Amino acid sequence: MTKILTGGVGKAEVTETVKKLGLDGIEITVSNDMDAAMKLRGGQADYFLGTCHTGAGASLGVLVGLLGKPACHTFGRSVPTEDEVNALLSEGKKVFGFAIDQIDVIAPLMARAIAARG
Amino acid sequence: MNSVLAASSTDLELSLAQQLTVIALCALTAFISHMALAVFNDGVRPFMLDFIQGRSTRSATTAVSFGLSAGFIFGLGAPMALSTGVLNPWLVFLPTDILGILSPKKWIAPLLGGAWGAVVVFGLNGANSIAHDLPVDFLTALQQMSTPILFLFTLFPVLAITKQFGRLRGGIAAVVELALVVMTMKIWPDIFPGSIAMAVGVLTLIGFAVNKDLAQRKLDRAEAAKASAAGGPAPEVKNGAGDDAEDPMASLFSASALRLRRHLPLFMLLGAGVCVLAQSHVFGGGEATSFLIAKGDYAEAAQVDFYRAFGFVPLIATTALASGAYGIAGFTFVYPIGYLMPNPFVAAVVGAAVFALEVLALSAIGKILGKLPSVRDSSEHLRSAIGDALGLAILFGSLMAANVMGGGLGILIVGGLYLLNESMGRPVVRMAAAPAAVIVGGVLLNILYWLDLFTPIKG
Repeated sequence: MTKILTGGVGKAEVTETVKKLGLDGIEITVSNDMDAAMKLRGGQADYFLGTCHTGAGASLGVLVGLLGKPACHTFGRSVPTEDEVNALLSEGKKVFGFAIDQIDVIAPLMARAIAARG
Repeated sequence: MNSVLAASSTDLELSLAQQLTVIALCALTAFISHMALAVFNDGVRPFMLDFIQGRSTRSATTAVSFGLSAGFIFGLGAPMALSTGVLNPWLVFLPTDILGILSPKKWIAPLLGGAWGAVVVFGLNGANSIAHDLPVDFLTALQQMSTPILFLFTLFPVLAITKQFGRLRGGIAAVVELALVVMTMKIWPDIFPGSIAMAVGVLTLIGFAVNKDLAQRKLDRAEAAKASAAGGPAPEVKNGAGDDAEDPMASLFSASALRLRRHLPLFMLLGAGVCVLAQSHVFGGGEATSFLIAKGDYAEAAQVDFYRAFGFVPLIATTALASGAYGIAGFTFVYPIGYLMPNPFVAAVVGAAVFALEVLALSAIGKILGKLPSVRDSSEHLRSAIGDALGLAILFGSLMAANVMGGGLGILIVGGLYLLNESMGRPVVRMAAAPAAVIVGGVLLNILYWLDLFTPIKG
C-alpha cells in the first residue's frame, strides 16, 4: 500500500479528488507540511501532494527544508504531461506542489502515475 | 505637481515623497533578497535554504523565483494597481525578490530594485492619468468592486469554520455573523458593518482550533500514561516517532531563527520602510485592500488586512524557520498598523519595533505552532476561504464594472474573457482574470467608441 499525504490550501479537495478515482494500492490522507515532513522522513508515508496559489510555497512549506530540494518538485502553475510525471517519479521525487486551481487535472494525474508504479 | 487634479479620490497621483519612498524601499527589498534574508513570495522561501547553504546556484534560484512570481506580477499585481491606482505587494515586492536574487554583486541589487521602483511609480502615474481621460473610464468603473469585496470578505471566517469544523458549527457561525452585521448597521451606522462580525468569526475559528488541539494533547498524554502503566511492549508509536524525529526540525528551526536574529537591525529598517509605505496610503497589502485604500477607507482596510494576516502567520513562520529567509512584509501586521499611523515618522518607529518583535518571537511561535496542528490547519482553511470569498466578489464586482462601462456589451466582453480564460486552462490566475478582463474590455470599448461603434453609457 502506497501512502500519500496531502497538505496546503486545497488538501481536502486533493484527497477527495483522488479518493473518487478508486485506485487500488494507494491510500491518501489529509495531513499538513510539518507532520508530513516527519512521516516521510520516518518512512511512514511515501508521497506528499501540496497545493497553494503559487503551486509551491504553502504547498511545500517546510518539506523542502527537511527533505532537501532533490526530493521535491513544484509544477508551479503549469500542467505536466503523464511522461513528465513518470520521469519525476523515476528520479525519486516524493514531494509535489501545484496550484489550487489545477487540482482537477494534476491530482488525478499524480495519483494514477503513483498507483501505476505499485 | 498638479495637486488640483489629485484632489479627486479615485485619481491617485503620487507625490514626490511617495515616489521616493517606493524607490528607496524597492532598493532595500532587492538588497535584502540578494542577501537571502527575506523574500516576499511564500513559494520561493522554501527554496532559499539550498541557496543559503550553497547547494543551489544564484541563477537556478532566480529561475525558481521568476517562475513562481511572473504570473502574479503580470496577472494580479499589475491589473490590481491599474484598476485601483494603488500599489500592491505583488507589483512592488515580487519583482524585487527576483532582481535581488538575480544580481551578481551586492551593490547591483539596490540599483536594480530602485530602478524597478521608478518604473512602477512613473508607469502607474502615467497609465492612471491616461486611463482617466479616456471616453470610457474603466478605472473609475472598477471602483464598483469594493462593495462586493468588502461584504463577501466579511464571510470568510464562516467558510473556514465550515470547512474545518463541519456544517453545524459553520451554519451557526453564519447566523451569528449575519446577526452581527445587521446589528452593527442598526446601532453603529458609522462603522463598517462587517468589522465586528469578522472579528468574532476569526476569534471563534481560532478558539475552536486551540480547543481541539488542547483536547487532543490531553488525550495523547492520557493514552501514553495508560500504555506505560500497563507496561505494554510498544510504548506508543506516535510518541516514539515524534521524539527522535523532532530533532532535525528543531535544529533546522533554531539555526534559521539565529540567522535571522543576527540581522535584526536590517529587518528593523525593512519593517520601518514597509510601514512607512503603508502609511503613505498609496499601497494596499491584501487583495481586498487596494480598493478600500483607493476610496480612502483606511480603518476598514486595516481591519481587513489584520484578520487576513491570521491566515498567513503560520505559513510565514514555518517557511521562514525552515528556510532561514523571512517575509519582506513579515507577518503582514505592519500593513494594518501602517494604514492607521498618523505620520511617516511614527510609522517608521512602530514598523521597526513590530519587525524586531516578530523576528525575536519567531522561534517561540514556531515551537507553539508545532504543538497546535489544528491551528495550522485553520490558517490553511482561512487562506482557502479568503480565496473563495474574493473569487466570487471580484468576479461579481468586475461584471458590475463592466455594466457601468458598457452595459450588456460590457458584460459580454468581460464575462466572455473570463470564461475564455477558464476554458483555456487559466493562463491568467483565476483571481486576477476578471479585473484583467475589465481592463482589456475597457480598452476595447474605447476602440469601439473611436470607431463610432459604441456610445459610452454616461454622458
